[in-house]
Amino acid sequence: MISQIGSLALSISGGLILSTFFFLFYYSIKKNKIFLDVSERGLIAVCFCVILATLCLLNELLISNFNLQYVSQYTSYETPLFFKVTALWAGQAGSLLFWTFIMSIYSLIYINVSLRKMHELKFWSYIMLSFIFGFFLLLSNFVANPFEPVSSDIIVQNGNGLNPLLQNVTMAIHPPTLYLGFIGTTILFVMALSALISKSLTFEWIQSIRRWSLIVWTFLSAGIILGGYWAYNELGWGGYWAWDPVENSSLMPWLILTAFIHSSMIQEKRGMLKSWNILLAASTFLLVILGTFITRSGIVSSVHSFTAENLGPLFLGFLTSLILFTVYWFFKRLDLLKSDKKIDSFSSREGGFLYNNLILLLMCFIVLWGTLFPILSEAWNGEKIYVGATYFNQLNVPIGLVLLFLMGIGPLLSWRTTSNSKLLSNFKIPMVVSFVSGVIYSLFFGPFQLYPLVTCMGIAFTGTSISNEFRKSYMKSKSKDKSIASAFTSMMLNNRHKNGGYIVHIGITLLFVGFIGRAFEVEKEFNLSPGEEIYFANYIFKLNSIKSEARDNHYAFISDMDVIDQSNNLLTSLYPEKRIYFYWNPDPEKRQPHSELDIYSTMRKDIYSIFSAYDAEKNQGYFKIMINPLVNWVWIGGIVMVIGSLFAFWPSKRRDYGVI
Amino acid sequence: MNRIYTSLILVFALIVIWTIYLTNLRQDNSLTVRYYTIEELVSIDSSISTSVKVGGLIKPNSISINNDDQLEVSFYVYQGNDSLRVYYYGIRPDLFKDDAEVVVAGSFNDNLIVATELQTKCASRYEGDLKNIEKI
Repeated sequence: MISQIGSLALSISGGLILSTFFFLFYYSIKKNKIFLDVSERGLIAVCFCVILATLCLLNELLISNFNLQYVSQYTSYETPLFFKVTALWAGQAGSLLFWTFIMSIYSLIYINVSLRKMHELKFWSYIMLSFIFGFFLLLSNFVANPFEPVSSDIIVQNGNGLNPLLQNVTMAIHPPTLYLGFIGTTILFVMALSALISKSLTFEWIQSIRRWSLIVWTFLSAGIILGGYWAYNELGWGGYWAWDPVENSSLMPWLILTAFIHSSMIQEKRGMLKSWNILLAASTFLLVILGTFITRSGIVSSVHSFTAENLGPLFLGFLTSLILFTVYWFFKRLDLLKSDKKIDSFSSREGGFLYNNLILLLMCFIVLWGTLFPILSEAWNGEKIYVGATYFNQLNVPIGLVLLFLMGIGPLLSWRTTSNSKLLSNFKIPMVVSFVSGVIYSLFFGPFQLYPLVTCMGIAFTGTSISNEFRKSYMKSKSKDKSIASAFTSMMLNNRHKNGGYIVHIGITLLFVGFIGRAFEVEKEFNLSPGEEIYFANYIFKLNSIKSEARDNHYAFISDMDVIDQSNNLLTSLYPEKRIYFYWNPDPEKRQPHSELDIYSTMRKDIYSIFSAYDAEKNQGYFKIMINPLVNWVWIGGIVMVIGSLFAFWPSKRRDYGVI
Repeated sequence: MNRIYTSLILVFALIVIWTIYLTNLRQDNSLTVRYYTIEELVSIDSSISTSVKVGGLIKPNSISINNDDQLEVSFYVYQGNDSLRVYYYGIRPDLFKDDAEVVVAGSFNDNLIVATELQTKCASRYEGDLKNIEKI
């Protein structure tokens, strides 16, 4: 019953989109405002229908209605309640509906809050929203319908259940967070182009789109970091980033959005770079759709394969029409976007933002080129050629280091131009601190590896420069306030935009601390029987025992390994497990092994252990141990980044509440 | 066009050209690796070693694990009627089993792929046929 309601809501929303288009068309001829209002209501109704359909699917997942193909493929009676909810986005059909669901929520906010203040954007916003909704509803209704019943000649006694790798809290939060970021770019696209077409690039518009971009950026950043966290803690290859096409697809919109957040500040402050900003805002969404096309079409081989062959051409068509639409209007409105002001000085805050844009764009190009390379080379000479992690690192690491220094240079520059004497006095302290840290680093670790040394100096430079900014505004605030606490609070709260931005920069600097560790990773694979030990990376690894245990939904071999440090103290005990899911299944093909890691984690280093195989005859375990320095700083940096952007987003005055 | 824009565009263009130059299509480029289908690989001259990336399915019953060292494995990947032997030393992914879809990268010489990378397609894909059904 409920599933019929869901299915019906989905079809109705498809019909509603068509009628919305019809009314918009009518409005464009008759110019009667009533048609615009009707289409607005039509869109709102679409949103509610999609939300209803999603709730219906959720209900079917929770009550395990195995008459639905989707429910029986991704859940079983044994699937814990929490993961029945997450199954909503575990598969193709569900995740497309979930996409439209999030888009509905964003659109409701956009229509009811943002557009209330910008009537002139309504018409074109509705056209674009209807088009985008139309595309996704087409997919959900005709290509990947989550309410598709199982074939009529079978009864499903129990569903397949959710992949054990996905039964993990991080994996439950990561996709929706990333989705909130991805889909938020839809609003940026709609907002940028509707303002461009209706020629109303007002101050209110730039403020509003900046707030939207901060929301999207926060979710996107959190989603990417959570993905890395999940990979590191679950997948067992000891890393958090592999330059896989799917990862790259999430990084590209992030890079461009970051560029937009910076360059839109120039527009807000000085009314320049309008055309550039429009292009950046629109590109974030285009890159999201490109990424979706890459990951869902199976055109590039990736370890994350969401491969469903039927979606590729559809997404390609959708992407092409969006690009043509953007390019057409961009050139048609080019004259509107000209600015009479110029950026004259290389050493100005504007200049700094431009360098930032250059770097971020370059990184995006490098990632895009590398990701599309197999497709491009195949089109060129018929050979599918891949570039590996070496390519991405070789190009992005030096450019990333320039970005690290730039985060410290930016605050030292003034708007318009910075005088030479001021440059010198501003740069003095960070330069000295950076140089001293470089010397200290070399004394401890030797100057042999260039990148870690430069990173260390960059962190010191940027850290000093940002702390100095905080110190200056604190002194200013202290001169008015008496107590330390109230001076600090008013300093922080007075300029939340700026302070939030600096906190984000501190977070990114901390990320770089984590990146240094990658240069010093070591690993070893070996086998041990209980009682034996091995010496590696200044530690003794002693295997005490391997136990086995049948648990609720799997069978586990649990190893017990002591880690003893140089001074013969027991540092920790590690218990990595080898698990067999579906072990009761008589067909060995259907059983699924899974390595559950154990990580001893400190601020200095992680000891990462994997129990990869168990030889029952010889009672011998096969292990892999990795020593990963400074990994925790990546997660801390990520958290600081998110806190910073929330801080910047939080409205500082009451009147700001309305501006989304 | 003023100075600052010109210089930025120039830097951008230079690095773009550098990137394209680095990914040139020469055979010996260490940054790139060509993806072959098994069918293509079977037919090329394998007397000289080439670095390759290849995808296929693991041939059922072809996995042979060394009893003395379980990290050592050899197996066949197949696609249609063609298959090739792969040697790999190291930890295998959890989903490594008969008919699993794998991507291996390594060097190809004398009809043997010595793999340095072995990946199974995993995580997100968990569809497959329904397991517990009753026909009516």
